[in-house]
Amino acid sequence: MGAFLVRRLIWLPILLFFISLITFALGLYGPGDPVQVMMGLHANPETIERLRHEYGFDQPFYVQYLRYIGNALQGNFGYSLVKYRDQPVGKLIADALPATIQLNLLAIGLGVLIGVPLGLLAGLNRDSWLDLLVRAFVIAGISFPIIFLNPVLTFIFSRRHDLILPAANLAVSVGPILPMVQGRWEGLLSAKIILPALIESTGVIAIMTRQMRAGIIEVMNEDFIRTARAKGLRERLVIFRHALRNALIPIATILGLMLGGLVAGSFLVENWFGVPGVGALTFDALSSRDYYVVMAMVLLIAVAYVVSNLIVDLTYGYLDPRIRKQ
Amino acid sequence: MGTLLEVKDLRTEFHTQDGIVHAVNGVSFHVDEGETLGLVGESGCGKSVSMLSVMRLIPMPPGKIASGSVLFQGRDLVKVDDEEIRSVRGNKIAMVFQDPMTSLNPVLTINTQISEALELHLGMTKEQARKRAVELLKMVGIPEAEGRIDDYPHQFSGGMRQRVMIAMALSCSPQLLIADEPTTALDVTIQAQITDIVKRLKRELGMAIIWITHDLGVIAGLADRINVMYAGFVIESASNKELFANPLHPYTLGLLGSIPRLDEAHKAKLTPIEGLPPDLIEMPKGCPFHDRCAYRTDKCANENPALELGAVRHQVACWNWQDVQKLRATIKR
Repeated sequence: MGAFLVRRLIWLPILLFFISLITFALGLYGPGDPVQVMMGLHANPETIERLRHEYGFDQPFYVQYLRYIGNALQGNFGYSLVKYRDQPVGKLIADALPATIQLNLLAIGLGVLIGVPLGLLAGLNRDSWLDLLVRAFVIAGISFPIIFLNPVLTFIFSRRHDLILPAANLAVSVGPILPMVQGRWEGLLSAKIILPALIESTGVIAIMTRQMRAGIIEVMNEDFIRTARAKGLRERLVIFRHALRNALIPIATILGLMLGGLVAGSFLVENWFGVPGVGALTFDALSSRDYYVVMAMVLLIAVAYVVSNLIVDLTYGYLDPRIRKQ
Repeated sequence: MGTLLEVKDLRTEFHTQDGIVHAVNGVSFHVDEGETLGLVGESGCGKSVSMLSVMRLIPMPPGKIASGSVLFQGRDLVKVDDEEIRSVRGNKIAMVFQDPMTSLNPVLTINTQISEALELHLGMTKEQARKRAVELLKMVGIPEAEGRIDDYPHQFSGGMRQRVMIAMALSCSPQLLIADEPTTALDVTIQAQITDIVKRLKRELGMAIIWITHDLGVIAGLADRINVMYAGFVIESASNKELFANPLHPYTLGLLGSIPRLDEAHKAKLTPIEGLPPDLIEMPKGCPFHDRCAYRTDKCANENPALELGAVRHQVACWNWQDVQKLRATIKR
């Protein structure tokens, strides 16, 4: 186990070196220039040149890169160049992370809490009307893009709807059912988080449901399920003691990989709902060529995925004794 | 000895997209207390399905027990409710399956898997069940049973896993053990060990056994009586000695690899049965074996023979068994 851990951790700096090199090069040689964005189109060319010199953008690539890495190793990830001018990038990200993590935690939590039971029910009642409904939902959940769900669900849930039926002499007002985030972000315990989290979670729910359905169908056809039934066990015990744990192994893998994404914000949802998270921050940074913010985010996401992969591999053994001993 | 299990006119079918598969077509047989019944036939002849039907373990749907009765201790297992069939499974009737590599749950310890039947049927506590599980493992010859009880299935070899399966099946001292090809997936030397264990335990515990196999060599050393199945029918039934000494059905003869051919001196010792078993979706009208049979007559293609007495305690389902017998007698001479 120790050797395994060391081997995996040795890869981390190598991976980070390549990722940082590529990201840095793309930022530097890609189109656009932060100083240009900062000063606007009609800026004095001399001023631009002076600023470029001040920020060191006129230095050769390797000098800039080595300086960045040198600073990063000391915990200094540079300063924002554009929107949050001269604020340290580390602080910007640290301030934005809580909102993103809360949103993603709730989205993944909803995905598991809704997806796993839904997939289980559908798989155990294969080809029933429930199964058909769940399958339709899964396809919808995977294929509707967030850019479509944002306005539609917002329209449905966070507005007042007046239904007037003159023929029946009926007027009903519904909603708003879920509040918009608008204004101040209040975090995990506020009702305002539900709508963005729900939209974030549609994909998660769909993936979890599909995996759980396929998993339980496969496991219920295994020979050991027949053995369990041959012992006279109740079907409930057959499912929960013998089938469920086997079917949860792939769920754990997917879940672990999603945990890596906890620190990666969703551009679309955060921007639409005004969530002050890293997704919105990164989006701004990308569009204004704010190199250092983008660099730090890419590195953070890379580290998060490596670590979550490691956690998946370590916890796998808990669920599957066949892996534990090897 | 009294009759323990009596199966009458059992029919099991599977409703698939291609049509109805007639897996078991009116099978009747009985097992006496403490008797070993061999069930012989090639793959897909309904051996396993008929036994899974007895336990009501066929997947429903697509499976369906279309008719018949399974009388066990005064109850018809086809008709009792789920609660009651569960109280029989693993308790009065237990089953050992073919593939020990896949028949044990990979994520549960051996202790959990043996103990759960003891806790369920005999009301034992966890500690009592664990103690009994160790005894059972010793009984089937697993060395260092105390140290291995908390191991997982993947830590055992195939033969050891089959011993675990047997220990599990015998945990509640069943009156009937159904062994569904328990040695097929094992090496030949391990096969012999497993059959020896079952023989010894049968002497010690006195349960009846139904042993399903396609291997006549295995069954010759085990069974008191043998039923030969073909295409979902029992086509011959006789005591062990009688069946091997005096086979009456052409299919049984074929299985024994000794079909006498008139156009040939009997030099060729092994003769395969020509052709394939019939399509179980579109069953032929007459005898299911008639297109492969060397003794067929016109009648065979139109009418399916029922089991009839051919010799003392020897039943056969063939229109021409007397001819078969005579022919064999001439060749022997």
